[in-house]
Amino acid sequence: MAYSDKVLDHYNNPRNVGSLDKKDPSVGTGLVGAPECGDVMKLQIKVNADTGIIEDAKFKTFGCGSAIASSSLATEMLKGKTVEEALAIKNTELVNELSLPPVKIHCSVLAEDAIKAAIQDYKAKAETPAPAATA
Amino acid sequence: MNELNILGEPAGGEHHHCWRCGHDPAPEPAEPLSLFCQFCNTLQPPVPDYYAFFNLPRELALDLAELQRKFYALSRLLHPDRYTRAAERERKYSLEATAILNDGYRVLRDPVERAEYVLKEAGFDLGEQRSRDVPPELLEEVFELNMALDELKSGDQSAVPQLVESRASFQQMLGEIDGELAGQFRRHDHSEAREARHTILEQIRKILNRRRYIRNLVSEVDRQLTAHGA
Repeated sequence: MAYSDKVLDHYNNPRNVGSLDKKDPSVGTGLVGAPECGDVMKLQIKVNADTGIIEDAKFKTFGCGSAIASSSLATEMLKGKTVEEALAIKNTELVNELSLPPVKIHCSVLAEDAIKAAIQDYKAKAETPAPAATA
Repeated sequence: MNELNILGEPAGGEHHHCWRCGHDPAPEPAEPLSLFCQFCNTLQPPVPDYYAFFNLPRELALDLAELQRKFYALSRLLHPDRYTRAAERERKYSLEATAILNDGYRVLRDPVERAEYVLKEAGFDLGEQRSRDVPPELLEEVFELNMALDELKSGDQSAVPQLVESRASFQQMLGEIDGELAGQFRRHDHSEAREARHTILEQIRKILNRRRYIRNLVSEVDRQLTAHGA
């Protein structure tokens, strides 16, 4: 099966690969995996607490080209969005942008799950104040 | 509803009358659906359902000795060599029945394949799996494992001890999962109600997903360790 040019571009030059400090209260981490293909995807966001805007996003994905491209594109889309806007990102946007074939749609679903998981983690941290000892 | 196709066989695989002598076992409900006509002993169109074929209860914790005994007995009865002088139709049935016999035995004797078969027959879509079936603690471990695999692939042998350790821990997990499966199999077999069985089958599907996930990891670690001479 041939990958689209956009998938190849993200696969060969993945954007925002790396990690953020997951102990940082402004960082939300989403870790998801797909049992059927063994993919595992870590996606992190760094949120400005005052503006609610996602200032940075990083990912590290072990998996096929489509999974890497989906998460790479997701981090690009996340930057500059508010947390609420980010929650509205749908996997179909990734599918369309990357021209993913039907058999690879689950990769985009995984990326959407990762975004949601990262936001959920960030929100959970924001509700429970960080322990004083971290200062 | 006994629609017949061109060969005069009942559609849908169900047979009520013997195709040769016309004997109808239906009025005797105690008579099990049989491979052979009870009256003239002619081979009947085989049923494709493995449990029905082996005349076994639809249980997940199967008695493997019983299954093997039936397999050997049926192998002898159905062997195509016995039908070289039989009618063409009976020869055809013996070939079909032998194929079902072998496939069925292969599937039913393996606990994972057996469970997947029962799930599929109960209408579960085995392809549809979501990340929530994998517990978060496991994902952490999987992520770390993949990091170590990456190091090994880039030629860093220092990841080897960690990989060997992870493999052992995942193999232990597989053992625990198999124990968990066996427990759910027994629960399934003891549940009479359809809904209860369905709920247990859902649990089993999740366990199988987790099992497949971990088994793939173990083989990947094996493959990489071998490829890098560790």
